[in-house]
Amino acid sequence: MRMRTIEISVGGFVLAGVIGLVFLAVQVSGVGELGERTSYTIQARFDDVAGLRERARVSMAGVTVGRVRGIDVDMQWGDAIVTLEIMGEPGNLTIDTGAKILTDGVVGARYVGLLPGSDEETLGPGDEIVETQGALVLENLIGEFLTNIGK
Amino acid sequence: MDNLIEIKNLTFFRGERMIFDNMSLDVPRGKVTAIMGPSGTGKTTLLRIIGGQLKPDDGVVLVNGKDLCQMSHDELQAFRRNLGMLFQSSALFTDLSVFENVAFPMRVHTNLSEELIRDLVLMKLNAVGLRGARDLAPSELSGGMARRVALARAIALDPDLMMYDEPFTGQDPIAMGMLVDLIRQLNGALGITSLLVSHDIHETVSIADQIYIIAEGKVIGAGSPEELRAGSTPMVKQFMHGDRDGPVPFHYPADDLAFDLLGEG
Amino acid sequence: MSDLLRSIGVRFLDFLSALGRASLLWYRAMAGLPRWGDVALVVKQIYNVGFMSLIIIVLSAFSIGAVLSLQFYTQLARFGAQDATGVGLALVLLRELGPVVTALLFAGRAGSALTAEIGLMKTTEQLSIMEMMGVDPLRRIIAPRIWAGLISLPLLTAIFSMVAVYGGVVVAVNWLGADPGGFWSGMQDGVELWEDLGKGMVKSLVFALLVTWVAVFQGYDAPPTAEGMSMATTQTVVISSVLVLATDFLLTLVFYGDF
Repeated sequence: MRMRTIEISVGGFVLAGVIGLVFLAVQVSGVGELGERTSYTIQARFDDVAGLRERARVSMAGVTVGRVRGIDVDMQWGDAIVTLEIMGEPGNLTIDTGAKILTDGVVGARYVGLLPGSDEETLGPGDEIVETQGALVLENLIGEFLTNIGK
Repeated sequence: MDNLIEIKNLTFFRGERMIFDNMSLDVPRGKVTAIMGPSGTGKTTLLRIIGGQLKPDDGVVLVNGKDLCQMSHDELQAFRRNLGMLFQSSALFTDLSVFENVAFPMRVHTNLSEELIRDLVLMKLNAVGLRGARDLAPSELSGGMARRVALARAIALDPDLMMYDEPFTGQDPIAMGMLVDLIRQLNGALGITSLLVSHDIHETVSIADQIYIIAEGKVIGAGSPEELRAGSTPMVKQFMHGDRDGPVPFHYPADDLAFDLLGEG
Repeated sequence: MSDLLRSIGVRFLDFLSALGRASLLWYRAMAGLPRWGDVALVVKQIYNVGFMSLIIIVLSAFSIGAVLSLQFYTQLARFGAQDATGVGLALVLLRELGPVVTALLFAGRAGSALTAEIGLMKTTEQLSIMEMMGVDPLRRIIAPRIWAGLISLPLLTAIFSMVAVYGGVVVAVNWLGADPGGFWSGMQDGVELWEDLGKGMVKSLVFALLVTWVAVFQGYDAPPTAEGMSMATTQTVVISSVLVLATDFLLTLVFYGDF
């Protein structure tokens, strides 16, 4: 009888541990939130992506619609190519959609914001967003500001 | 004569101190052999050597004619399965009940059914008069009771050889009488070979077939109780009669008392 | 001077011989895979080391999570970055505090108990009589306890981190009024499965190995006296805590040090 109590307690303990792991994986790491649904990837060129990380949010009107999947540099043009994974079927973004690198608060994480366009044509898998605006780098802004004052 | 255990020219050191000095003795099969001697002569050490827990520095221990030190791990384990040992401290498993303590050897070494184990355990506990204490924890037992449970555990698998380390110390007179009877019975009814280490002369003499007296690492007297009581050498005589003065030293080896007291000043 | 050198030398040799004995103990207990019959023994030990540590783990986790969350939130709010509370909390817990604090609590709660139990079994000759019965005490007593430690500590760590995150949510969201959406999505954006959770669990497994090994060895190697036992119990907590902290630093360098 006593052994049975022990077995039940240990069973409960192991179950709690496994629930803990699953919770940490799903709720905290956010695994599986994208995997289930269909998605496709598009690309965007930015002149500067300072501070943007893989897995950063892609949002439209403040709603998360995808993730950053890859950040590469194009040595020839000296700009950055960002691969974006967009949830849903291809065809939900127009071809003149704009992309902008934004910041959560003043010091928060960088993310990609999409600005809706009005064209009839839509972006397919592997297409590239043309209208982009890179990250605002504070040092550059201050530098420009100072030179403007000097004029 | 058929000997279960033969010890030949055993030498054993504990650190710098010599415990056994080229000592030989035999344990005949089916008999009760007692080893007696003053405290600190390594009687317990001898039992541990026979059990294979300590290795002799020199000499051999033969079990059924086989050298204990040459045995493979499996052979040694097989020998130990047929060995019942009663330590001076009862060494009961504190996390198990009395019942489970006695059942322990059966559970690890046999595949007996639960009902059979239950019957056997109750029989063994009944033999030591503690059938009613089966559900107690070892911490609830007195020292004497714990020793009897340990005895029940030692005989759980009906061993060929029983070794008792000071079984009589700390027992009340009734339990003592029961123990003496039990050891005798185990030996007579089941033909168990018994090796007994003790310094309780009275009880030992009453059950032993053969007695060895050891002191200072050597056998100083051997024979049946009657032969020893007749007492040939002064050392044997001193021990058998419990005289304080005699050739067997009462003190642990030391310098002269006067020298010690004055010298350090 | 030569006395000093000699005592250092002697200490070093003592250390080497203890390390040798500990390794032998480990080898002889864990050589060969566990047999099916040992499962019941391991289950019983998981009860002793794991289940019995749950209360202290859950209580500590909740308060540590709450405190962390409070500090993160109030400091980050000064820069308007309070949405980063979730990710900060989760990263600190998964990477460092979860494994380390759980291991330290485990050493104090379960490690010392293991040492005392094994030491007492040795002192009262329970291990010796077992050997005389033809049962290997290392396989029967030591091995199940090591397995139980290796299984229990990572599970306790997972429970610790989960409860601590919950404690953080209670403080940041329910009490300080952080936006739950920002809290969770910030957390999910910044936390990665292998990089953060996985490596934290690897740390926890390494700590489990260290703490149970130290605890079991201290008990097995303790001199059979009251003094020796109390010394061994203290040593278990001290040595395993220092080992956990030092190893954590090394593992953090290996896992997250970019060079």
